[in-house]
Amino acid sequence: MKKIAVSVKDLHVSYRGLKKTSIRSTFFNKKNRKKIEVFKALNGVSFELEEGKILGIVGKNGSGKSTLLRAIAGIFSADEGSVDLHDNSISLLSIGVGFNKKLTGKENIYLSGLLLGFTEEEIKTKEKEIIDFADLGEFIYKPVRTYSSGMYSKLAFAITAILETNIMLIDEVLSVGDVQFRKKSYNKMKELIFADGRTVIIVSHTTSTLEELCDEVLWIHDGKVKLKGKPEKVLKEYEEFMHRKK
Amino acid sequence: MKNIKLFIKNIKEYSNYAIRSAKAELKSEITDSYLNWLWWIIEPLCFMLIYVLVFGYIFKASEEHFIPFVLIGITVWEFFNRMVTGSIKLVIQNREVVSRVYLPKYVLLIAKSYTYLFKLFISFGILFVIMFLLKVPFTINILYMVPVLTIFYIFSFGVASILMHFGVYVQDLGKLTNIVLKFVFYLSGIFYNINVRLKGKAAFLLLRVNPVAFLMNEFRKVIIYGKLPSFQGLAFWLGIGLVLTYIGISLIHKNENSYAKVI
Repeated sequence: MKKIAVSVKDLHVSYRGLKKTSIRSTFFNKKNRKKIEVFKALNGVSFELEEGKILGIVGKNGSGKSTLLRAIAGIFSADEGSVDLHDNSISLLSIGVGFNKKLTGKENIYLSGLLLGFTEEEIKTKEKEIIDFADLGEFIYKPVRTYSSGMYSKLAFAITAILETNIMLIDEVLSVGDVQFRKKSYNKMKELIFADGRTVIIVSHTTSTLEELCDEVLWIHDGKVKLKGKPEKVLKEYEEFMHRKK
Repeated sequence: MKNIKLFIKNIKEYSNYAIRSAKAELKSEITDSYLNWLWWIIEPLCFMLIYVLVFGYIFKASEEHFIPFVLIGITVWEFFNRMVTGSIKLVIQNREVVSRVYLPKYVLLIAKSYTYLFKLFISFGILFVIMFLLKVPFTINILYMVPVLTIFYIFSFGVASILMHFGVYVQDLGKLTNIVLKFVFYLSGIFYNINVRLKGKAAFLLLRVNPVAFLMNEFRKVIIYGKLPSFQGLAFWLGIGLVLTYIGISLIHKNENSYAKVI
C-alpha cells in the first residue's frame, strides 16, 4: 500500500462570528449581534493524497480553493474536521513573504527563509544557489526597494524554489519575470514538482497547465468536492460546466 | 502547562527569526535618514531636555538629581508606551506575513519588543553618562536594576500580548488604550516624585496600584538613590506579570489560526 501524505477529513472552514467589531457596537448594538453572517468557505471537504503525487485543484472564483490551501498549510484553523500531514514539512509557495524593502536582497533571503521555517544553517548552505538562480548580479547587495518588479519576483521565486519542503502548495503562481526567466522559472517549477517523492498541490485556473502537471484533479464547487479523478476526465467536465454557465 | 511548553518550544524555534527581524527593523529605520543612528540618542536627550526645562525650570521641581530622575521616567515610560501601542496593530501591520505563512503570533511581539529593548538600553547608556557627568554616586545597588528590568519586561509583555489579541478583533481598541495611557502617564510620576508631591495615602496607593509608577520608582531607588528595591512589591508584580503573560499566550494559542480570516 502506498503512503498517504495528506489526509483531509470533513473539513469545514467558515467565517462565522469573526467579523471585526468595535467597542461601540458591542455595547450599543445588541440586537445586531444575533445576525452574524455565516459564510461557509469550505463545507465538508475530504480527500487523501498519496506521497509523491501531484494534485490539481480547480473551481470557480470564491469556491474555496485558496481557503483549502491555507487550511492545509495551517494558516487557517478548521472549524470542524481535520488535516493530517503525517509529519511532513509543508510550505505554501508564497512569493516574497516577510521582505523588508529597505534591506538588501541578501538580507531578505535570510528573513524570508527563517519565516518559512528553515534554520539559519539550512539557508546558509543554499544561499549561493539562491543568489545564482535569482541572477540579479550586483543588485543582490542593494536594497530591495531599488528593484524592478521583475527583479523582485525573481528573487522571491528563487527563495521559495530553492528552499524545499516535502509537501508544496502552489497558489496560481507558475511563472514570473521576463521571458527568459519565465522559462527558467517554469522549468524549475516542473523540476520541483516532479522531484522524487515530493507531494504537490496546485491551485490554478489554467487547465492546460494542470493537465500537463497533475496526476489527479480535485474540483471544488461551493465549498464541496464536486469531482475527483484523472485530469482528462475532471478537467473536461469542469470546462463543459463553466461554458454551460455562460 | 500545555501552553507553557508550546510557548517555550516556539520561542526556541523562532528566536533566530525574532532577532533577525528586530535587527532588520532597526536597520531599516535608519537607512533613509540624514542623521542615521544618531536619532536613537538625540530623541531621548531632547525629550529629557523638554521635561527638565518645563518642569525643572518653569514649575521649579525640587527632586534630588532631577535630570537623571526625569531620564529614568522617560525611558521606562517610553518602553511601556511603545509596547502597549505597538502591540494593538501588530497583527494587522503584518498582514502580509500572517496571511501567508504560519508563525506563532507572539513571535511578532517578541521581535518588536527587541527593538524597543534596544532603544531602552541606549537610553540607559545616556543615563549613565549623564550621571557620571553630574557626579551622581554609583552604588552596588545599581545591579538590582537587572531583576527590576526583567520584571518590568515580563509585565509589559503580558499586557501587550493580551492587547495584541484583542487588537485583531476590536477596531477602536487603540482609541481606548490611548486615553488610559494618558491617564497612566500622569499618574506614573515621570516628572515628579510621587512620594514627595502626593503625601500619605495617595502616594501609598498609587505606588501599589499603578505598576508603571511602582517599577519606575524602583528603578530610581536602585540607580540614583543607591537604595534596595522593595522585594515584596517586585515579587507581587512578577506574579501578576507572569499571570498576564500566561493569559496572553493562551488567548493567542487558542485564536491565532483565525487571525488570518479577520485581517
